[in-house]
Amino acid sequence: MSLEIESMVRYASPINPAVFPHLTMLLLGIGIFFTAWFFVYEVTSTKVSRHLFKELLLALVAALFSGFGILFLLLWVGIYV
Amino acid sequence: MPSAATENKANVPKKGIFNNTTGFSTLITVTVLSLAWLAGFASRLFAVIRFESIIHEFDPWFNYRSTAYMVQHGFYNFLNWFDERAWYPLGRIVGGTVYPGLMITSGTIHWILHTLNIPIHIRDICVFLAPVFSGLTAIATYLLTSELWSRGAGLFAACFIAIIPGYSSRSVAGSYDNEGIAIFALQFTYYLWLKSIKSGSIFWSICTALSYFYMVSAWGGYVFIINLIPLHVFVLLIMGRFSQRLFVSYSVFYIVGLLLSMQIPFVGFQPIRTSEHMAASGVFALLMAIGALKYLHSLNPKGQWKQLLILGGLVAAVTVFLAVVLLTYMGIIAPWSGRFYSLWDTGYAKIHIPIIASVSEHQPTTWSSFFFDLHVLVCTFPVGLWYCIKNVNDERVFVALYALSAVYFAGVMVRLMLTLTPVVCVLAGIAFSILLDLVLREDETPAPTQESDDKNLYDKAGKLKKRTPEPVGETGLGMNVRSGTLIAFMILLMLFSVHCTWATSNAYSSPSIVLASYGNDGSRKILDDFREAYGWLSQNTAEDARVMSWWDYGYQIAGMGNRTTLVDNNTWNNSHIALVGKAMASNETAAYNIMTMLDVDYVLVIFGGAIGYSGDDINKFIWMVRIAEGEHPKDIHEADYFTERGEYRIDSEASKTMLNSLMYKLSYYRYDSGGSPPGFDRTRGALPGLRGFKLTYLEEAYTTEHWLVRIYRVKKPDEFNRPRLPLAKRTIQTSNVMSKKLAVDIGHMTSKRRKGALKNKPILVKGKKVTKLD
Amino acid sequence: MLPAMAKIQFFAFILLYVASNCISVNVDNISSDVRIKNVDRSIDISSQLVKISSKITFENAGKVPVKQFLLAVEGAAKNNLAFIGARDSNNKDLRLVETTVKGHDNVKFYRVELKEPVNAAASVVITSDAVFSKALLPHPTAITQQEDQLVKYNSNLYFYTPYKVLTQKTTVVLNTKSVESFTKVKPFSQQDGNINYGPYSNIEPFTEKELSLHYKNNSPFLTVTRLERLIEVSHWGNIAIEEIIEIEHSGAKLKGPFSRYDYQQDHHSGPASVRSYKTLLPASASDVYYRDTNGNISTSNMKVKKDSVELDLRPRYPLFGGWRSHYTLGYNVPSYEYLYHSGNEYLLKMRAVDHVFDDMQIDELVTKIILPEGSTNIKINFPFAVTRLPDSLHYTYLDTKGRPVITFKKSNVVENHIQDFQLRYTFPRILMLQEPLLVVGFLYALFLCVIVYVRLDFSIHKPEHLKE
Repeated sequence: MSLEIESMVRYASPINPAVFPHLTMLLLGIGIFFTAWFFVYEVTSTKVSRHLFKELLLALVAALFSGFGILFLLLWVGIYV
Repeated sequence: MPSAATENKANVPKKGIFNNTTGFSTLITVTVLSLAWLAGFASRLFAVIRFESIIHEFDPWFNYRSTAYMVQHGFYNFLNWFDERAWYPLGRIVGGTVYPGLMITSGTIHWILHTLNIPIHIRDICVFLAPVFSGLTAIATYLLTSELWSRGAGLFAACFIAIIPGYSSRSVAGSYDNEGIAIFALQFTYYLWLKSIKSGSIFWSICTALSYFYMVSAWGGYVFIINLIPLHVFVLLIMGRFSQRLFVSYSVFYIVGLLLSMQIPFVGFQPIRTSEHMAASGVFALLMAIGALKYLHSLNPKGQWKQLLILGGLVAAVTVFLAVVLLTYMGIIAPWSGRFYSLWDTGYAKIHIPIIASVSEHQPTTWSSFFFDLHVLVCTFPVGLWYCIKNVNDERVFVALYALSAVYFAGVMVRLMLTLTPVVCVLAGIAFSILLDLVLREDETPAPTQESDDKNLYDKAGKLKKRTPEPVGETGLGMNVRSGTLIAFMILLMLFSVHCTWATSNAYSSPSIVLASYGNDGSRKILDDFREAYGWLSQNTAEDARVMSWWDYGYQIAGMGNRTTLVDNNTWNNSHIALVGKAMASNETAAYNIMTMLDVDYVLVIFGGAIGYSGDDINKFIWMVRIAEGEHPKDIHEADYFTERGEYRIDSEASKTMLNSLMYKLSYYRYDSGGSPPGFDRTRGALPGLRGFKLTYLEEAYTTEHWLVRIYRVKKPDEFNRPRLPLAKRTIQTSNVMSKKLAVDIGHMTSKRRKGALKNKPILVKGKKVTKLD
Repeated sequence: MLPAMAKIQFFAFILLYVASNCISVNVDNISSDVRIKNVDRSIDISSQLVKISSKITFENAGKVPVKQFLLAVEGAAKNNLAFIGARDSNNKDLRLVETTVKGHDNVKFYRVELKEPVNAAASVVITSDAVFSKALLPHPTAITQQEDQLVKYNSNLYFYTPYKVLTQKTTVVLNTKSVESFTKVKPFSQQDGNINYGPYSNIEPFTEKELSLHYKNNSPFLTVTRLERLIEVSHWGNIAIEEIIEIEHSGAKLKGPFSRYDYQQDHHSGPASVRSYKTLLPASASDVYYRDTNGNISTSNMKVKKDSVELDLRPRYPLFGGWRSHYTLGYNVPSYEYLYHSGNEYLLKMRAVDHVFDDMQIDELVTKIILPEGSTNIKINFPFAVTRLPDSLHYTYLDTKGRPVITFKKSNVVENHIQDFQLRYTFPRILMLQEPLLVVGFLYALFLCVIVYVRLDFSIHKPEHLKE
């Protein structure tokens, strides 16, 4: 039929669970920094001084880091998604 | 002047990563508030960390049970829910006798999370609801205080309320009760009210009414709002501060709020039919009258309107008052309820409503608990109050009234400390802000100190104190005084936060259904007797079994044991409670009659004698007697349960009625554990007076490991084989002899064991003789 | 030890909705050439289960080689039969097929297929193991707290078989000397908690003679009335297992009161009650939790041993006859213990049911396997006949279209059923990125909302900026 068990290898997580806490801290830290930057930028800039591209870029970076940070936070606390 | 902190920041040289002061101050505000949220959330988690994520105490179990019901059956079924498992055989219309705001809040959160496929159990939502809402309360307090004074003061107030024990006592994780969300609603309503009175805009008034609606749905304490806001309006009128803004905001708020509040089934027509709500409508009528007069005045400004205005106002006030009194007499408006009376007359409850007086949190507050709950703020909030009165404006009148009334209520009942706490935080925040302003004001010339002002605000919230002696820009005495004051206040605030953490951790974080005892070596032992008993009930009794217990445990039996109860913590039917009290206070035969009448299958008593748990039923017993006496004065007499010298005791000197009462027997039946002489009661520190007796009508069904919960099964009539009447006679007559024997035995210093053996023999012999004679 | 069993029983293939019925279309004949030379039977009734192990020497008295024999279970006992298996003299498991024989509708037959045929006049030794649950009946059915539990066992004195038996011996293991009564058919002897019957010779096929024992048995009579086992596979390196267990003391019911005083007086009080029992978890189990609807059950101990994690579970209250309890037990195991892969092909090899307590009996077992979102081509092999329930979807954290759930059911399960199933599926690895990207997308949408919001002007008229 399909592959036999002998020809398969044991499956382990692509990322070692031991580094989940560190990854969480790092990614979430960077994510929060960019989020703060983004919001401060939104609050302080006026209609004239606002650049859409910068906003989008900041938002993207913040979302990326926070998103992965949240994922590893979930994995760290034991919610294996 | 109020928003000095914000204004002054404009002078600060541009520094830091963000080249804009608005951004910087917003960032600080957001950071401080989120840290306050975090600190408040974290400090409420002691119970979860020490024990587990579990619902605490009594009332939360009912709230949890109804929330679970709502989540399972939907909102409309919840509103129509007739709970036949409570108050057997009466039942309880839960949907109509509950403030549904709490259940709706957590139900909504549950629904949102589950729509997003986040499968969090409703119990966890309930457990963590109050800590999460404490963060919202902090934000609402921040808004309120910044509306009153300044953003700096707001940040102080937010940090205070986040951790203050007076509030965290009601909002630790697991304490799933109305107060947890109601304080947020209260603060937010007040904030919106100030906002609307400031702006006179209909938008804010409507928002106030909506927030008030949420408050009404959440807690019976909404009466506080609906009396305080009219009081505010009334005082403003007296002070001659009538304005169009006031007129618009109050009339909009009152009408919309009234209509909305009547949508809650439990409140119904109360807002127009009870005395508690009449102040609001009276003030509304008064405001209308004054508004009309003012309007007339504006038509002809030259006339003699001033006298007419005062006269008209007075006439209107008197008319309204008389109308209310008249309507009350005619019975259209219900008079003040007993609970409300007890707020004015502290002795009222003790005489008329023992059931209220029996609850410890309805006792008057002691000074020590003021300090325990508020710590340093109790000393500083008068300063803020004084400043508010000194620089008075419309809003500050409000906060002054708020503070004065809350202080009064907190003095009357321990429980109402909760309403005092927010205003204390607000005013103390103002006081601290003024003080720091004052200390740092002299530095206005060198710019950097202003920045350290902000830093201080920020630092305290995060509990980092590094830059305190920073303002070294000047020389001389002034600087020393300033830094000295600053350091002193830093220390004060540190002590405050230490105290808050300590108090929350030690006094308010016990789930009370799981007990922990500590051994000499510091090892912890968990006494899980309550859940053991409730678990046993839920698994090993018939699905429809009815359990009789004192009302304290009604909600827990329903929530954890999932069995029908006779009375519970919703003490709406005093006579039913009195009947249960009577059963507990009567002798076995009389109690059996009551129990058969009430279809009781099991009786549950809490007995702390084996482990020294003081909150058990024997200690509460005197309240059962009192409540029973209130309804059945012929059968139950409180004095019978005391010794001749008026002592309440359970040892051999206890009164005969006491020793024969059902409660006594169920507590001490076959109890031989505990202290060094077997059968020693550790809670009362005495050896029970009557031991080795047998039960006729009940049998032990289950007793938990540490004897804390004892469950008895009521036998069916065919299960006791002897005829009933002679037996009843026998017990009474022999018990006489028995107690005499007992006294003799003690005189002879016989050992405890033999006493028990001796006791049984005479009963049988004498009893037989008596029956033969008959 | 057990995986070998999985190989022999391939008859329980995929999609066995009504497994037993499908197979019972087999019809066999009783070969008159076969005789049984000797049966050495041991009936172990010291626990709540009846474990019968019979060493049978088959002899081919005919002329042609025989490749198969029949094992029979009498009608009275067949409903209690939880497990039956056969081994040859090398302890290798033999294949067993359920079958029927014309004229014996009330009897359950199993065909043992030998690896090598038995030649004429030769003989072969086979050991058959059978486990019966609920065959021991408490008598009296209700006892008080301090009484010992007495049970009755009724069975067949002779080895029940379609063949003639030349000689047979039976040992009944009771582990107690207090026997109220037992069948006395000579020759018999009683020693050290055992009762030996036989040898009896020349017993005709299908002979039944009552064997009845009434004796003390205080071993835990616990029945798991329902066990739901959830296996959730995460490709982030974890397999979460949760067992929802409903348990009942199925021995003699408790009559009269329960007295804590008596129960605390000495340790032997309540001899028939169950205070605690041991559950063995895989050695790699971590984050173990033990709770019920009212929260954590604080009375348990965990011991980590070399090859297993031993949990000493104490229910909230001691279990007396008729008392019930329920709880949830959960733990995590790392994926490399049970999950294998080759490219995008995955194979999950796990126990269909795990140990709950020694000599356990489970009335109903429901096992659910939750695979990662996006798994396809799911194929499963069962080690024994089960009822497969329709697949469903499960929604949990960060799911969009749901995770596939494989469910199967089996009733009357005992320890011998602790065997591995094999589940194959395909999962494209790139799908693992779906979950974090979902979070990223959600956050980005929030930021976009803010960007849009600051560009909107909601005011009806120009703000005055002079209100303060």
